[in-house]
Amino acid sequence: MRRCVIAVTIIILSMTLPAQLQAQLFGTGAQVKSVPAGGTPVVADNLVNGPVPRLPDGKPDLTGPWVGGGSNADMEVEGGLKPGELPLLPWAKELRDKRKEGDEPYTACLPMGVPRVNPYPWKFAMTYTSKGLTQIYLLHETGDAGYHRVVHMDQNKHPDDLLPTWWGHSIGSWEGDTLVIDTVGYNDKFWFDSRGTPHTDKLHTIERWTRINYGTLVDDFTIDDSGAFSKPVHLKFTAKLLRPDLDLMEFICLENNQVGAAGGYVPGTGTSNEIKK
Amino acid sequence: MRMKMKFGAFMAGIGFLFLAVPLIAHHGFDTEYDANKKVKLTGVVTKVEWLNPHMRVYIDVSDAKGTVSNWNLELTSPNTVRRQGWGPKDLLPGEKVIFEAYAGKVIETRGALARISKAETPDKPLFVAGGPEQPGFPKQ
Repeated sequence: MRRCVIAVTIIILSMTLPAQLQAQLFGTGAQVKSVPAGGTPVVADNLVNGPVPRLPDGKPDLTGPWVGGGSNADMEVEGGLKPGELPLLPWAKELRDKRKEGDEPYTACLPMGVPRVNPYPWKFAMTYTSKGLTQIYLLHETGDAGYHRVVHMDQNKHPDDLLPTWWGHSIGSWEGDTLVIDTVGYNDKFWFDSRGTPHTDKLHTIERWTRINYGTLVDDFTIDDSGAFSKPVHLKFTAKLLRPDLDLMEFICLENNQVGAAGGYVPGTGTSNEIKK
Repeated sequence: MRMKMKFGAFMAGIGFLFLAVPLIAHHGFDTEYDANKKVKLTGVVTKVEWLNPHMRVYIDVSDAKGTVSNWNLELTSPNTVRRQGWGPKDLLPGEKVIFEAYAGKVIETRGALARISKAETPDKPLFVAGGPEQPGFPKQ
């Protein structure tokens, strides 16, 4: 009985402790380090519900770094919808269903696009100048090719002669403690997820980022794209704060990208909305 | 002692359930690897590549006839492995290892590494990755 109680206690501990501490408690000794692959360690559970730190100007500190907070494998499910609820137009649904995962541009080290994230961290970096908060940069450890995204905090309208780009043109504003990012000017090349959910260059996104406590950042995300969706759609994503000692690291995707070799295919060929025959 | 071992194995299982996450974060698993073709082999490390987007470990494996195949095994990103505490001195060329991997769909010896340990400490894995048997696989 006592053994059972101990076991249950350890199970609960294993669910709540940071990964590194777990490794120390349950790991394999100082000589041999056992690495549980893939995960990015996040802040300890007992700190998550702490107060939101604030900047000198009183705004919430959204810096991070964070992990999660967007779509990756399947936007529909990850965004809080039930299967089939994403209001894709028939051509867009057909394209999504026919796309092959190995064709996604991201696997050839092209950018992930908005609101895509992967299991690697990202952060907001605020630029304060003599004019105040002029830009916020979104830095992704893998963006995928190390791109930064600019949110113009000193502009209130988009230029009317935009060239379509991977990240589009973003303007930001505060609604209370929520950072609102409005973006247009996207190209149609990136996928919303590895399932192949498409969009067009009519895409307009609105992100509403709210740090609801010390360890959690919520993105209420709106897609408005009459080219691929029958109506605007609202999704919700949640990011977690990284463990305090961690930050973004260098990541040069093209350094040794061997994706596809084991499966006998060339990755990343799906940058077109044309349905392959 | 036997009870202790069982308990240890039980806890190792718990650790695996809660710590392990999918190996392939940069792309899907099924596009390249065969979930039904899992191998367990012994070999000698020839190269450890701390390169992006994913780390790779190369291992020479001899078959019964003495023919040597060099396996090219994919891990996750170097950053991810570093954050979890594994460093450049933890696995070196020349070391004898036991590993489990999912073979490549087209090129079998290009595999997804699932588990690796030094031959002298088979019960102390250096690297335990997710795989098809893991909850939530293959998406993260």
